[in-house]
Amino acid sequence: MTLSVALGPDTRESTQTGTVVSADSLTAPDVPWNLVIWNDPVNLMSYVSFVFRSYFGYSETKADKLMMEVHKKGRSIVAHGSKEQVEQHAVAMHGYGLWATVEKATSGGKDGTSGKGKGKRG
Amino acid sequence: MAKAFKYGLKGITGYLEPAERELLRGLFADVVAMLEPEERENQDPLSALIGLDMEVKEPTDRAVRRLLPNVMKDDGAASLEFRQLTERSLREGKIGALRAASLGLDKDDLTLTETDARHWSTALNDVRLVLAERLDIQDEADAEHVHLMQDWSQAEDVESYLALVYNFTTWLQESLVQAMVHSLDTQPGTRR
Repeated sequence: MTLSVALGPDTRESTQTGTVVSADSLTAPDVPWNLVIWNDPVNLMSYVSFVFRSYFGYSETKADKLMMEVHKKGRSIVAHGSKEQVEQHAVAMHGYGLWATVEKATSGGKDGTSGKGKGKRG
Repeated sequence: MAKAFKYGLKGITGYLEPAERELLRGLFADVVAMLEPEERENQDPLSALIGLDMEVKEPTDRAVRRLLPNVMKDDGAASLEFRQLTERSLREGKIGALRAASLGLDKDDLTLTETDARHWSTALNDVRLVLAERLDIQDEADAEHVHLMQDWSQAEDVESYLALVYNFTTWLQESLVQAMVHSLDTQPGTRR
């Protein structure tokens, strides 16, 4: 993203809990999906944060934290839900011009990975 | 010289010179032309009406692909299937925002409602995404390099001209987003 506003240094990584997903729940129809936003050098940091606030209704603090995670780590999981829900979010994000993808939450919700599910697959 | 968008009693207001309006009109029209779905002879009219496009393919143009990205990182087949259901309406939504912003340029008074502002911000963002592809901005260092180009008297070739246009649209979008954030902050409780 393009830096437009100076932000404080306290942008700790998100604490997406690394829940251990059992093999059973991976095959269940309600297996959670993640909405991932990817970094790009074009979108303004202010704009990305604004989109998180106005579309998801996130607080300024949460929106900024997620935005900084995208910027620094290259990607961030910004929402969870059923496949249909995150797909709907992804289209909305594409409408805003953000680079969004969906993925099955098989890597235990851990972020900052290459996006490929490690270990067990659903 | 354009003035930054600002949020005040009348809402979000801005000011653009005729030449700047002309430039933006051209940019919005260029992106609309890139996004317009091609008409096919044997297109099922009902499918088109409800936004389905079973013939759709992943765009070959890099800029169009950035505007309409795959929904799954490593699954081309599933992404294509999703495209069939969603790409047409995504294109139409983007075209709608670009056209609305363009229409707003016809009025002398550049006062934006919340909806206008949303159209403007996505339209400017899409323009910037396209310009960035043409300028080959791949990473933050490329973006920095382009950002250095600020002096219109230096515009000697297409690339430097595009860089200046990119920087102008970046500045304009940034000022608009700041005004939108200001507007959001002064309306507690409203989510969208």
